[in-house]
Amino acid sequence: MNQFLQATIYGLLQGCMFGLVAVGFSLVWGVMHVINLAHGAFVLLGAYLAWQLHAAFGLDPFLGMLPAGIVLFAFGYALQRGLINLVVNAPIFITLLLTFGLELLLVNGLILVFTADYRSIPTTYAGRSFVLPGDIHIPFGRLIAAGGAIAVTSGLFYVIRRTRTGLAILATGMDRGAARLMGIGARHVYALTFGIAAGLAGMAGAAVGAVNTFSPADAGRYTLLSFVAAVLGGLGNTSGALIGGLLLGLVEAWGGQLLGGTWINAVAFAVLVLVLAIRPQGLVGKAYYASRVEV
Amino acid sequence: MTEAQSTADAVTVSADPAAADRGIGGAAVSGERQLEVTSSKPSGGADAGARARQLAPLIGWMIGAGLLIASFGLLTQLYTGQVRTVTTIFTFVGLASAWNLIGGFTGYACFGQVGFFGLGGYATAVFMTHYGLDFWIALPLSAAIAAGFAALVGWPLLRLRGHYFAVATLGVAEGLREIVINLPNLTGGGGGITIPTAGADAPTPWLGNDGFYVLFLLLAATTVGVAGFVSRHRSGYALRAIHQDEEAAAAIGINTTKAKILAFAGSAALTSAIGSAYAFQQVTIFPERLFDVHLTVLMVVMVVLGGAGTVFGPVIGAVLIAYASEWLRQELPQGHSFALGGLIVIAVILLPQGISNYVRDGLREKRFSMLDNIRRYRL
Amino acid sequence: MNIRTLVVVCAALTVAAVGCRSKGDAVPAAAPTPEAEQKFLLGASLSLTGSLAREGGLTKEGYELCAKVVNDKGGVSVGGKTLKLDIQYQDDTSKPDTAAQLVDQFNDKGVKLILGPYGSATTEAAAAVIERNGQVMADSAGADDKIFQKNYRRTFAVLSPATQYAASMVQAISDLAQPKPKTFAFISADDGFSKTATKAAIERAKALGFVVVAEEYVPNATSDVSSALTKIKPLKPDVIVGSAHVVESIAIVRQSVELGVKPLAFAETIAPHTPDFVKTLGPASEGVLGSTQWTVKTAGKDKWFGSASDYAATFSKQFGGRAPAYQNAQATAACLALIIAAEKAGSVEPTKVRDEMAKLDEQTFFGPIKFSESGQNVVKAMSVVQIQNGHAVGVWPKDSAEAPLKWPGSAPDKG
Repeated sequence: MNQFLQATIYGLLQGCMFGLVAVGFSLVWGVMHVINLAHGAFVLLGAYLAWQLHAAFGLDPFLGMLPAGIVLFAFGYALQRGLINLVVNAPIFITLLLTFGLELLLVNGLILVFTADYRSIPTTYAGRSFVLPGDIHIPFGRLIAAGGAIAVTSGLFYVIRRTRTGLAILATGMDRGAARLMGIGARHVYALTFGIAAGLAGMAGAAVGAVNTFSPADAGRYTLLSFVAAVLGGLGNTSGALIGGLLLGLVEAWGGQLLGGTWINAVAFAVLVLVLAIRPQGLVGKAYYASRVEV
Repeated sequence: MTEAQSTADAVTVSADPAAADRGIGGAAVSGERQLEVTSSKPSGGADAGARARQLAPLIGWMIGAGLLIASFGLLTQLYTGQVRTVTTIFTFVGLASAWNLIGGFTGYACFGQVGFFGLGGYATAVFMTHYGLDFWIALPLSAAIAAGFAALVGWPLLRLRGHYFAVATLGVAEGLREIVINLPNLTGGGGGITIPTAGADAPTPWLGNDGFYVLFLLLAATTVGVAGFVSRHRSGYALRAIHQDEEAAAAIGINTTKAKILAFAGSAALTSAIGSAYAFQQVTIFPERLFDVHLTVLMVVMVVLGGAGTVFGPVIGAVLIAYASEWLRQELPQGHSFALGGLIVIAVILLPQGISNYVRDGLREKRFSMLDNIRRYRL
Repeated sequence: MNIRTLVVVCAALTVAAVGCRSKGDAVPAAAPTPEAEQKFLLGASLSLTGSLAREGGLTKEGYELCAKVVNDKGGVSVGGKTLKLDIQYQDDTSKPDTAAQLVDQFNDKGVKLILGPYGSATTEAAAAVIERNGQVMADSAGADDKIFQKNYRRTFAVLSPATQYAASMVQAISDLAQPKPKTFAFISADDGFSKTATKAAIERAKALGFVVVAEEYVPNATSDVSSALTKIKPLKPDVIVGSAHVVESIAIVRQSVELGVKPLAFAETIAPHTPDFVKTLGPASEGVLGSTQWTVKTAGKDKWFGSASDYAATFSKQFGGRAPAYQNAQATAACLALIIAAEKAGSVEPTKVRDEMAKLDEQTFFGPIKFSESGQNVVKAMSVVQIQNGHAVGVWPKDSAEAPLKWPGSAPDKG
């Protein structure tokens, strides 16, 4: 029983981290209908940035989330404004291929600059744990990352729902033509959205770097994980990625306990396909997104 | 395109030269004649255009046959290492063409195509290793299994559109890989499975580099042939209709579910056949390779850059990308993926409709500006 | 007319043109040129990119060092002539089918002596082609015994087989640990090499009288082994043996600390010897055992590189003061084996070199090299190291140990 509880708690913490990684991906998909295959590469960029700051200035990686987020926001804004805006109206294959090419560029660029070595950002406290009665351990590092995920999701909710910029983003996501008629500059809003998403990915990367080992080859895994979390949670809802991530974390934890370690991924994908077959809008997503035809 | 030309032909051929000189009256007469020609069935001078329209597919088949013969001839010219490279190119030609059926014609971006590739490969490997089946029996059997699986999975998933269908099929492909990894007694799991090809154990002797060259060439030719047949047949028109407007297609009486599932299953069967041949060629196969997501993305890149929805577009795209990727890898051992990524980004922005469509549209409209593409698709 | 057709005709002409050109180009390369005769050509297809890029890079350094040292000493003397050693590198992108293709391409260019790629999967694919083409391969980094169960006659591995990786650590614990532990738990990654190592280690543990309480498998390249650890924790094993690569091994130690799993010691196969391990885990890496193909104390010397410590010094000088990893050493050893065999054969002809490789019985800086019938180096033992004060020091076998084993390996309340 304790074992099961430990696995559940650990799975929830993992899930929060998945949500943190996926929230930017979900935002871009929901607002701009662009699947950003380079999302995992952004996460890694944030991780490497935080690592570099730690190596050069000894900056704590969780504090490093902020500069990583800001730098990646600027990068994402420039990328969207300069490059991705060129293909936004094209069929879905085109944006997918563009972001795939970007992923190749970024990942291999990272390999050329940082080499393929595995890295991690060591902290003195991230490995320690709270110990609850029943010998249930809650690791500090993952707890902070989970807290970060919740903070970020709440912050995003506040920005999207309560500020004018956020409402502009929401409006552009619902109906770009009408938003433009209202005087909203769609190019700028799209760039802003992508920048925010990249910034969130960067923050996630810094947190991931503190807790896990990373290398450029991991980019694909983080993108895939964002896919699954975004779909499970659903689009059109700022908490979708977090909910999806939590579900994924739980599924993996319980699958690992009941079936055996190597079945974890199979179970996760089975759940993904089931959810898409039965309830494509995800747990908390809006049905409008699932049935919309990309024109 | 042909219709416009035939109209023009009709006017120049059948217009009375004297009438053209009559100024306004003459113009009125030619104009009327022009209207006449377009509103009635093509006749007389328009025959040239109609004949061209009928001949076009025949010319397409002749070109295809010519390429096939040329490729056979190429075999005699190449050394072993190059034979393998060209075999890889044929593999991709086949894969891209098969993906084109569901992705290009029907417009359903299947991101799990490699799942069928791996399914065919592993099914053949399992049949040959554990049941001692001959390769030539295992290949069609695996293709049938893949087609059945695609029909089963396609029935709920083809209701989804766009990105959701892509993600769902991606999930299926990844799920297949994980299942294969988790059945080590059957498939060898993460450690891979080896098809016996030497000695008494082997159900079929290994075909040799040249043999595989021919096998993959024939498979690619079959796939392109199927695509060519479908593109001119009613089924192809049904798929194109579904791509352009599914509701309208359903409204005029096309059974969209049946059409989509058939296209999906056909595409799966062809992909799986190529996967079977690949598994036999590699002898030892691993799940990470047979179910590699990058293979799907490469297929999509090849089809899109070659021209989605055309017959020879994927062929061109596959040849170009496979050759470019191989050349880059030999010339830039450290930076080839980087260069490939840059190439893809530039190509996608400048040529989103693909080379064959670009050339065709350009020749028709006499405008070859790539900036036009950017202007069309940018925000 | 159909413009698509025009494009296709151009493509057909290109294909034909490529075909005609390649024949013309290939002819001079196939015939031995005077320049080729003065060089001792070796081909190496390595994982310079892809998932094994890092280890492939280490292997390349080993090959490069071999070329440099041998050429500085004059070159390879074959049949009365002295040839300069020249190694041609190609990238197999860590994919087995690319590795196989590259071996074929080397064969086309007349390069018959091949240095192995990194990793068991790529080596297995390459070995199949080597056998068909009549080339010879010196395997530097493909340890899985499966490769050598197929009656190949032309691939020779200088490194100890996969079955030794974890079993050697079990043996070391049995020989040196006071008081002896009783229970072992095994966590293995899900690839061929790791599974072979685990199964052999479990057999060895049972033969030595230990109780195996758990045998868990984790997905390849995962950084989350919490499900396996959560299941192992209540069984309270004395030793946790991880048979996996760097990422999983780091995860095992790190998540054990997080989850409060406290064995007397951890034993990970190849990870502890890498600098990433200590850097990433910090104090948690103290006392972790590892197995390695080579340490600076390995016994044996040869005329090219001297002893193991001489090799380390040469390596440091060449690569900016860095100490060599065992992947560097095994790569150089493979290159060395081919050179010795060629010198003994007095020719670069593949069949003669192959016969000499089969008869090889040499002491080198890497230890003894002698190949069994199947091509594996069964006379060389692996060394077991332990992380002490942030460095991996050899603790077993006793005669080449640098320091005694610290037991228990982890402090009771680490973290």
